Order: sequence, then C-alpha cells, then structure tokens
Amino acid sequence: MFGDLRRFDTGSPWSVDWFREWLDEVFPEPGATDIRAVPRGTFPMINIGRTDDAVRVYVFAAGLAAGDLELSLQDNVLTVQGERKVATDETEGDARRPYFRRERAGGSFTRSIALPEGLDADRAEARWRNGVFEITLPKREELKPRRIEIQSA
Amino acid sequence: MNEITRQQSNRQPRVQGGEDSRGERDRALQPPVDIYEEGNALHLVADLPGVTPESLSIEVDNNMLSLEGEIRLEMPEGMTAIYAEVRAQRFARRFTLSHEIDGDAIEARIDKGVLHLRLPKKPSHQRRRIEVRAA
Repeated sequence: MFGDLRRFDTGSPWSVDWFREWLDEVFPEPGATDIRAVPRGTFPMINIGRTDDAVRVYVFAAGLAAGDLELSLQDNVLTVQGERKVATDETEGDARRPYFRRERAGGSFTRSIALPEGLDADRAEARWRNGVFEITLPKREELKPRRIEIQSA
Repeated sequence: MNEITRQQSNRQPRVQGGEDSRGERDRALQPPVDIYEEGNALHLVADLPGVTPESLSIEVDNNMLSLEGEIRLEMPEGMTAIYAEVRAQRFARRFTLSHEIDGDAIEARIDKGVLHLRLPKKPSHQRRRIEVRAA
C-alpha cells in the first residue's frame, strides 16, 4: 500500500535521484549483494497512513520490545525515543569476534515527525508486533468527514 | 466520498497490470545485516521488522543464501498513505556462501523482527588448535 505513494513523487529531474536512477539503469543490481550497495536508512523507519477517522503511524523498529520505545505527542508532533542495543564486542568480554558486516544501527535515537492537526492525543493507542509499533491517533470529531444532506428547495 | 474511494481502488489493479507491474511487485528492501564469526560458525543478524515466521523464507541453493520476508502489517481498509519511508511490501537479500559452510546445518530464528542465522562450518573446516611443542 505504501508503495502507492511513489506515484506522487515528482522531484526535480536534476536531483540526486535522477543520477541514482541512471546509475541503477547502467549498472543493474547484481544477484549477490555488494558491500556498498546498502542504503543506510534512518532507524527506525516510519510510515504514516490516514483513514476517515484516524491517523496511523507505523514505526519499524526491529529488535525493540514493547517497553523499549517511548512515544510522546505534543501539539501535532510525535516523538519516538528509544535505545537499541546491538551486540558489540564488549558483550562478549575479552573474546573479540571478527565482524564482516556491521550495518545495523545501534544506540539511542530520537525522531520527531509532524502529524496532521486535530488529532485526539488522549485516545491514542499503541500496539506492538514483530518489531513494528503501530500507533493509532483518532481524529477529533470535527475533522471526520461528514455527510452533507441536500435539501430540496 | 464513495466515488473517490472507488476510483482509487480501481486505479491500483491497473497500475499493477500495466507495464509498471513487474517493478512494483519486485521492489524489495535490502535489510541491514551484521555478519560475524563466532564458535566455528558465521552468524548473520538481519533487521526484518514486520516479518513473521510464516512470511519469512530462507533458502540455500548452490551456495546462494536467499532471505525473503513479507512485511505483514495490519492496515485498516481504505487507508491512504501520507508519508512512507518503507516503500515496499517485502525484504529480500542474497549472499554467496563460501564452500566451508554446511548448508544443511543452518539454524534460523526470528524474534521481534530480528532474524538470527547461524551458519556452521563443515567439521573439516573448523578451526583447530595447533600445539606447539618445545624442541
């Protein structure tokens, strides 16, 4: 569903994306992965969707348990805060293990994201499943779509 | 309102059926991974948020390790995206294995969206300690 959003991307053709697209075309991705081919995204990644009566925020935070993420909403800005511990050499004491790849982000993070106005923070709910946090923020009554009756003159 | 919703839902199949279809469906995210060696085995840790044990597939074919997982989210009907960083429905990544990995003995577990793979080495390739004798 979120893939749909791509259709609305109308960035300037001379931006970096243009160059990246061209590169992808000239050098198609090989079957096996290259060590530099990984886009290093932010952690955690966030998706937001909207229904008629609520806004839903999905926080993709693999490795975090339900209690590891702190959510706060002020005005219409949602802040997610937490810490992810990625196993490091220290956890193994003196036994240092050789790493070949370290791409997973670790440490503490804070992200803030603006949401549409008119959400009812008091009725917000959050759920957690398989490393994805799902926050449902209901819209206030006056923002829900309303049917307008047409009266005959 | 009804009409708008209907038009949107009509549009989607058309996009998928069109020339874009292959690209749309094949688009997959590359999960970030950690790979390290410990205890006569290689360990691969991958972030796959939203992937369930059922929607995850791990295959080893001819020294090629393929990870693929579908992101299962609970989404209410009629939801429109207003912002998205995760713009694909699945994760996929492939690795070539070296010959010393015992493909039959690979163990996998997924917890909180984090996949942990243990790729043991074949016994003949395990590390041996060489005793040094005094002359």
